[in-house]
Amino acid sequence: MKKLAMLMLLLLMPLAGQAGETAKTLLSVDLKQEPFADAATITNVPAATTVDVIKRRGGWVQVKPAGGSEGWLKMTSIKYGDAPAAKGESGWGSLLNVARSGRSGNTGVTVTTGVRGLSPEDLKNARPDTDAVKKLDSFPKGRSEAQTFASAGKLQGQQVEYIAATSITEKSGIGSFFNRGKK
Amino acid sequence: MKPTRTLLVLLAISLPTMPAYAWDLSNLNVDKLTSTLSKVKDLQTVDEPSEIQIGNGVAANLLGAAPLVKDDKLQAYVNRLGWWLAQQTERQDLPWHFGVLDSDSVNAFATPGGYVFITKGLVLRMRNEAELAGVMAHEISHVLRKHHLNAIQKSAQLGLAADAASMAVSSSDNAYLKDKAISAGSEVLARGLDKDDEFEADRMGVVIAARAGYDPYGLPSVLQTLDAMNPQDDSLALMFKTHPTPQKRLELLDGAMTGTMDKYVGQVDGKERFMKVVGEYAKK
Repeated sequence: MKKLAMLMLLLLMPLAGQAGETAKTLLSVDLKQEPFADAATITNVPAATTVDVIKRRGGWVQVKPAGGSEGWLKMTSIKYGDAPAAKGESGWGSLLNVARSGRSGNTGVTVTTGVRGLSPEDLKNARPDTDAVKKLDSFPKGRSEAQTFASAGKLQGQQVEYIAATSITEKSGIGSFFNRGKK
Repeated sequence: MKPTRTLLVLLAISLPTMPAYAWDLSNLNVDKLTSTLSKVKDLQTVDEPSEIQIGNGVAANLLGAAPLVKDDKLQAYVNRLGWWLAQQTERQDLPWHFGVLDSDSVNAFATPGGYVFITKGLVLRMRNEAELAGVMAHEISHVLRKHHLNAIQKSAQLGLAADAASMAVSSSDNAYLKDKAISAGSEVLARGLDKDDEFEADRMGVVIAARAGYDPYGLPSVLQTLDAMNPQDDSLALMFKTHPTPQKRLELLDGAMTGTMDKYVGQVDGKERFMKVVGEYAKK
C-alpha cells in the first residue's frame, strides 16, 4: 500500500508548483498582457474571481480566469486555495497528504497531522540536547563545499545592494541598513 | 576579552545604577541609545565567541524540543545551501550551522552566532530551491543583524538586572549568567521578535538570495503558500504567534522589491535539485 501511495506521488509530481493551482483575486485588478505594470490591459477582473495559475514570474503570475483569456496579475492580488481544506498547499506536503488520505480511506482511520514539540511551552520547557548540537558539526560546511554546491546548481554570486522599506511601510529601521554594501 | 567576561558586561549594562532615562527603550532607536550609553557601556559589547556560546545554548534547547531529521543527505543539502548563502553576507566567517528539524510544525528559526533551523513541515510545503534559499536567507539575516541577541539584551535589562547586580562580583557566576542569557534566548524564540526585525529580515533575505543567484521571489512565494493555509492549522500556531501575518509581509516586500529586484527575476529556481533531494527524503 505504501508503495502504491508513493507511486501515486511520483505520478502527481508534475502538478507540484504553482502550475495547476487555483487562486482567487483579492480585489478588482487589471489583467495585463505582460508581467509589467505598464503593459497593455486585457480586461478588468473583478474581486473574488477564480483563476487557474499557469506560472509565476517574479512578482507576477500568469493566470487564466474562468472563461476568460490568459494574462498577468501581481502575485499579491491573488490568494491561493479557494477551498478551506489543504487545497492551497503546495509542494511535497500536499502530495503527501493526498497519499495519507488515500490510506486513511481504507482503514477508516482519519489521519490528522500531529504537531508536537514546538509550542511556546515546549520551547520553554525543553531540556537542552547538546548531542544534537554536536551532530550539527558533522554536516558538510565551509567555503569549498558551498562553491561546489553553487557550480552544480549553475549559481553565480554577484553584488546586490540591500533594499530599503518603501515609505508607506515602517517608521523605523530604514537608516540602519540602507546603503550598506555587500560587505 | 574572554567570552565569559563579556557575558558579565551584557548583563551588567542593565544594573539599576543606570540613569532612569536610559531605561526607556521604547522610544529610542539603537543608535541613539548607544550614544546615550557610550560613557557607561556600549550595547554591542557582546563579542563573537560569547554570541556563539549563547546561540549554541539556545540551539540546544530548540533541539531538545524538536530533534534533527535523521537524513544525512537532506541535512547536507541544507548545510551546503546555507553556506553558499552565508558567503554572500557581511558575516561569512561565522561558524554557520544549519539543520532540518523533525517537526510537522511550519517554521524556521535562528539563534545568535549562526545557527539556523527549518522544520520539515515547512520544507515539504516548498516548490523549489529558491523558496528554501529565501527562507534560509531570512533567518541568516536575523543573525547578521543580531536581532535575537539584541532581544536577549533587552530582556536582560527588564528582568535579569537584579540577578546580575548580585552576581557580578564572583567569577564562578559566569556560567549562571550564560544560562540566564540562554534561557532568555529560548524565550525570545517562543515570544518572537519585533515586527520591524521580521520585515527587515524579509528585505535582506530576498537580496541575499539574489546575490546567491536565485530568483529573489522565492521568499514571497513561500509567504503566499502560508497565506493560503488555514490559519487555525495547529502547525502554524507558533509561526503566526511570533510573526506578522504573511499578507502584511508580502505587501511590504512587494513594495520594496518592485523596481529594485525585477532584474533578478529570471535567475535560478533550482526546482530540479530540490525535487530530487527533498523528493527522495519524502519517499522514505
